[in-house]
Amino acid sequence: MSAADLLLIVPAAFGGVAWGILGGALPGISPSITMALLLPLTYGMNPTAAIVMLAATYVGAEYGGSIPAILIRTPGTNAAAATVVDGYAMKEQGRAGEALGISLYSGFVGGLFGLAVVLLLAQPLSTVALAFTPQAYFALGVLGLSIITSVARESLLKGLMAGVLGLMIATVGTDPVTGLNRFTFGSPELLSGIPPILVMVGLFAVGELLAESGEVGWRQVKPERARIRLPGPALWRRIALPQAIGSTIGAFEGMMPGGGGAVSSFLAYNEARRWSRRKDEFGRGSPEGIAAPEAANNTVACTALVPILSLGIPSSNSSAVLLGGFLLHGLIPGPMLFVSHSNVVDGLFVGLFAANIAMVIVGYVMLGPCIWLVSRPRPYLMAFIYALVVSGVYAIETSLFHVGVALVFGVVGYGLRYFEVPLLPMVLGVVLGFMVESNYRRALVLSGGDHMTFLQDPVSAGFLIAATLFLLGSTAHHVFRGRRRPQVGAPA
Amino acid sequence: MNRDLAFGVAGAVIAVGYYGLAVRIPASALADAVGPQGLPIAYASVLLLLSVILTARSVRRSESPRPVHAARVAGMLAIGAVYLALVPWLGYTATLAALILAVTWYLGGIVNRTIVVVAVSGALVFWLLFVRLLGIPHPAGVWARLF
Repeated sequence: MSAADLLLIVPAAFGGVAWGILGGALPGISPSITMALLLPLTYGMNPTAAIVMLAATYVGAEYGGSIPAILIRTPGTNAAAATVVDGYAMKEQGRAGEALGISLYSGFVGGLFGLAVVLLLAQPLSTVALAFTPQAYFALGVLGLSIITSVARESLLKGLMAGVLGLMIATVGTDPVTGLNRFTFGSPELLSGIPPILVMVGLFAVGELLAESGEVGWRQVKPERARIRLPGPALWRRIALPQAIGSTIGAFEGMMPGGGGAVSSFLAYNEARRWSRRKDEFGRGSPEGIAAPEAANNTVACTALVPILSLGIPSSNSSAVLLGGFLLHGLIPGPMLFVSHSNVVDGLFVGLFAANIAMVIVGYVMLGPCIWLVSRPRPYLMAFIYALVVSGVYAIETSLFHVGVALVFGVVGYGLRYFEVPLLPMVLGVVLGFMVESNYRRALVLSGGDHMTFLQDPVSAGFLIAATLFLLGSTAHHVFRGRRRPQVGAPA
Repeated sequence: MNRDLAFGVAGAVIAVGYYGLAVRIPASALADAVGPQGLPIAYASVLLLLSVILTARSVRRSESPRPVHAARVAGMLAIGAVYLALVPWLGYTATLAALILAVTWYLGGIVNRTIVVVAVSGALVFWLLFVRLLGIPHPAGVWARLF
């Protein structure tokens, strides 16, 4: 890696972290929305710097979420919800600076641990991919789609429907084999299909904007004063175990479909309490109660990269947006990325390391601006987010049509939120739809229409078996959980 | 109508509409065994099946109504639509200032000198970022002909 590369990567990491902290600190603006808002702005950038910036945004947003959680008892992100409990209790005791310092330091530790896991796992997993055929790519797409059953959470049916709708959206444009136009309605803008980035910006950013506009009675936040105080040696020793617990849980959850920061934070909080010698302090301002969830959610921000880099499959909303960043720059994440664009992967690893360092520095500097931003009137914030969306989406291909498409997907996103349908299955369908269809049909052309070809190819067979097991396991889990759920009015 | 039922019905309508369009995709001499209609028809069928199951499961369930805020959402979209219509004529900076002003007012901000200053200076910051710094050729509108 040259000095010129570093000159691109390090500022991108710092910029991404700063953007992420600001976005994460705004209640209602999740890491995925923060990343989706940044996505169009990265279009003209160097691909490595763009990917680093997006990944750094994820890192920054996970820390940023803890700022309002500690200061105003409002988590900026879902993952920071577990931090509210002890963080706000510490603030009430006049220890806000200490709580922010623990959050920052634990996020740093978790982030570095997560990076080590990515370095260890991503490349070995991707080496299998060098033997990939169209059959294997199709099966990989099916495996990616099978995680819908896991990310659907409450409603498997609605998740599957959203996934199929995503696959339908992916069929718009020119047919991959015959070159015929499908579902374009004579519009030349639709010939190359609907870019996944428009779907993501629409579903996540515009959809949230519309949903927020329907909320009445926004609470005006009173600005709070605080100064970060990093933990001393005695506190370091005390929070080492909860950090280790949080990092370990975060490492697994980040790689699991639908795991994400929120699940890992609560799991880490619970386990840290279980293993603590001072259980009674939890809920009343325990530093361990901040260290565990914050280490966990920052580990997730790194380990979520493992399934993207090795297989090209996003495991959460944020990693789906990151995948959008790769696609925007013509990079196909997954098996071949390590071979065809190893410089981007190396740059990303260096960038993630820089992002974790940046988090400590920028986190310190950005506290004041974050507090200022959080206390701005919401109508102004929403107006500026709207302005950013229309400007950013236009910037992708200087197309007003694309801005319109993003607004349409905003309505879809609002509708899905209203019907309580998870967004990620639709994104998975859009992102994987073309890969599934084109490789399915290519494989059939190569095999003379014989479907057994998918089982004769060992990699393809392995993925299809894994997908089947995953589908059966997740479905059984949904059915079992549905039966165990207590009925209203049932005797205790 | 509960939300699952409504989503189920909507899904069925989309599936039928999409199926109708899929079967009209013309045949091609270059077509493979599956053809350009193959997977779209399969997707429509699966969506219809899932929609019917969801509808059947939720038809007897009752649910307390939840506000849709349709008017508020439609207003936000209308602001976006007006922006798209005006930007080729008024240019990026002026239309963006109008958008910021309109959204702030629409979401409860009081129209005074501050709101106008914030909208205009915000639009100038966006112009500096996108047009000057990133070099994105946003529409200049009638101003390009005037100056």
